[in-house]
Amino acid sequence: MASDEFKQEYGQHLVDQVLKGQMTRRQLLVRATVFGFSMTAAGSLLAACGGTSATSTSSPAASGAPKPVMGGTLTGVIPPSITDMDPVTIYDQGGIVLIQQVCEYLIALDDKNALKASLAESWSGSADASTWTFKLRQGVKFNDGSPMEAADVVASMERVVDPKSGSGALAALQGILSPGGTKAVDTYTVEFSLDKPFADFPYLVCQSSYNTVILPRTYNGNFVKKPVGTGPFMLKSYNAKQQAVMVKNPTYWGKDAAGNQLPYLDQVTWKMVQDESAANLQLQSGAVDFQPQTVFQGSQALFADANLRVDIYPGTGIREVAFNLQKDPWKSAPKELRQAVAYCLDRKAINQALYAGRSNLGYDTFWEPTVFPGSPTPPERAQDYAKAKQLLTTAGFASGTTIELTVAKYLENPQLAQLIQQQCKPAGIKVNINQISYDAFYAGTATTTPWLNAPMVIVEWGSRPTPGVFAQAMLMPGVPWNSSHWDNKDFASTFNSYMGTTDIPKRTEYATKLSQIQQDDTPILVPFYITQLRTQKKTVFGIQGPGNFYCIMSEAFKTA
Amino acid sequence: MLRLIGRRLLLMVPTLILASMLIFALAEVLPGDVGRSILGPYATQQQVDILNHTLGADKPIYERYAVWAKNFVTGNWGHSPVNQLPIASTVMRALANSLLLAGFALVIIVPLSILIGVFAGLRRDSFLDRTITISTLSMTVIPEFVSGVILIWLFAVQLKWLPVSATPPDGANFFERLYYLILPAIPLMFLELGYIARMARVGTVQVLSMPYIRTAVLKGLPRRRVIFGHVLRNAMVPTVTVIGSQVGWLIGGLVVIEFLFVYPGIGQLMLLSAQQKDVPTLEASVLMVAVIYMAANLIADIVVALLNPRIRMGG
Repeated sequence: MASDEFKQEYGQHLVDQVLKGQMTRRQLLVRATVFGFSMTAAGSLLAACGGTSATSTSSPAASGAPKPVMGGTLTGVIPPSITDMDPVTIYDQGGIVLIQQVCEYLIALDDKNALKASLAESWSGSADASTWTFKLRQGVKFNDGSPMEAADVVASMERVVDPKSGSGALAALQGILSPGGTKAVDTYTVEFSLDKPFADFPYLVCQSSYNTVILPRTYNGNFVKKPVGTGPFMLKSYNAKQQAVMVKNPTYWGKDAAGNQLPYLDQVTWKMVQDESAANLQLQSGAVDFQPQTVFQGSQALFADANLRVDIYPGTGIREVAFNLQKDPWKSAPKELRQAVAYCLDRKAINQALYAGRSNLGYDTFWEPTVFPGSPTPPERAQDYAKAKQLLTTAGFASGTTIELTVAKYLENPQLAQLIQQQCKPAGIKVNINQISYDAFYAGTATTTPWLNAPMVIVEWGSRPTPGVFAQAMLMPGVPWNSSHWDNKDFASTFNSYMGTTDIPKRTEYATKLSQIQQDDTPILVPFYITQLRTQKKTVFGIQGPGNFYCIMSEAFKTA
Repeated sequence: MLRLIGRRLLLMVPTLILASMLIFALAEVLPGDVGRSILGPYATQQQVDILNHTLGADKPIYERYAVWAKNFVTGNWGHSPVNQLPIASTVMRALANSLLLAGFALVIIVPLSILIGVFAGLRRDSFLDRTITISTLSMTVIPEFVSGVILIWLFAVQLKWLPVSATPPDGANFFERLYYLILPAIPLMFLELGYIARMARVGTVQVLSMPYIRTAVLKGLPRRRVIFGHVLRNAMVPTVTVIGSQVGWLIGGLVVIEFLFVYPGIGQLMLLSAQQKDVPTLEASVLMVAVIYMAANLIADIVVALLNPRIRMGG
């Protein structure tokens, strides 16, 4: 069990690593928060490293933001919720945004993907990261007046790991936290005994694992009729697929840095708009004040609008281009064929075409320092047709080959498929695009669904807070979302060692090896990490969260 | 006349049964399943299977159809398996919204298109006739998602004369609701005006060439009486038939307009239900649109019969 002594030692260890140049200041901040250091304590560690403490968690907009204005109403635009807004099973953007205003997590993610205390006031992991202890904030009440205690946390976590609940959180927690693994130590202490060491566990109980909201122990569904949570707002009215109105929770526990009661706003109205163009027109007309997540396609007019501000956040969402190693040609071809495709890509041109050059380039590994600070820098993979042809020859395809790429008609995936098709052609790789509907892409069982069974696919992934969470979800052998069916024993054992240690040099060593294995074997292509956009009127400030549909409105306000 | 109405009403029953079977069969071949739709792409297959079993979605199609048909006929439309909303009130609310938009659009479109169609027909081959024909046809070929975006950008974003959304605030009265429908009605007018006006023009031209019109003119009837007493009445027969056939589309086919103007109509509900494999909601929506469509055509036939005695006399 992690003790204060362990924390002290670990903190000193982090400071040493920064002073030796083996770790960046930002990496220290992130790692310290994972192991339960408060932002103040993490700031002290940074101060110990010399220089200024950079612990601000404000959004880009907040720098130079005016003094908060109390009261008022903001109107946001979100996609309509698909299902019945059950926090346990919700998976769509609109529903997640709504739930996160009424309910909260043990831990919150700030704009830089660092963790900060929320319902858990502090947390700590054992030295081998297999047991985690969370101390809950005392005095927090659900909006029905009942106290939030350890029994509520245990019930919430046990609920999402129960297969019968249908919670999407189970897929991320499978093999890490099993039923019975969450226990109340006392009224305000919860202990998680993991199935295996997992150093990134705190990220699985924050909003990036959006079904892990803390609900009353008595929750039995029907959230719309009885929307009980601890969040800054309460659901006043809900008109499915059209509008939700929320009013401030007068008993909310949160206070700002100056001690003011949160939230600032009296009311938030959410308009649900399915069509992206219609949503953009709502913003431009001034009918709505903000949009938590803006997609790149069609957003040019928003950037050009004098009344709007588009904040850009370094998002970590990706478009995974997976080679299915159980299907030909990938099954019988060596890794050089996959590498050849990788060297055909002009990633800068793709970034320019799809995201106006605003996203970050990726080089087929999750350990990418531009989006996950402190990661080892991978070798760049620039477009190189000579090398691609050489690799094709080595792979036994000197005269070229034909491959099939299955893609859903969703987001910018079809355009990415076309770019891959165009860029592979000069090397002699003919790409046939099989474009199907979004529903068809995800239809079927684990053994029939195209996204897990077609020879080559493009899969959209939302932001994940760490490379480990990505790898655990799609690269470990046997995990349910492994579209490439990659089964690399060296990678798996190194990954388990990486997740089983808190020692920074060891983690860096393991991360370097993992990155090398992933890039060299190339089970998937990761051509870019998508920057996140959030649009608001220039009079709107204080919306927090890492720049996507995880948005926290407690410190949002609007000036005159 | 009564026999005509009775026969048409009887025909509606097998039509609706056939339509409901077709929808069930078509929904079956759509990719995806309701369990996956509810739990999303990140749920494990085991979780999806458990939910499908709970919902009865894993039963054979004929069993599901029989259960649904029995419940539907007995008025127990139930709740949507996807969002748990009561299907009857969801469908009726969306249908009422669509009827209001379609009705508002028709109130503008029908008199205007008949007026300019008849006007063009009376001045056949003149400069005015050609101008009306070309301009209304040009408007008809502009897709509603193009004209809609341009109209919103101009009147809502730039000039701020009209609201960007067709959904009024809570508590809006009837006239405020109509104000919010002005902008979405304009693209519909663009689409329908040329079509109906052309039918009115053709009808007018045909009637004008009839011997009884020549007789009426030669016996010295005033022009106004010739037009209103003889031309209009007979020229309206094909126009009314066309209007009847367009009502169904104006109610159930405005998916693009409803999405663009954020209007919760039945077209949008049908599309989302189909995407989410929410078959009970889809069935109820489509059947209600089918009823409206058949009723509109029946009314059109009755109006035509009233306009043309030969039809109601069976001649």
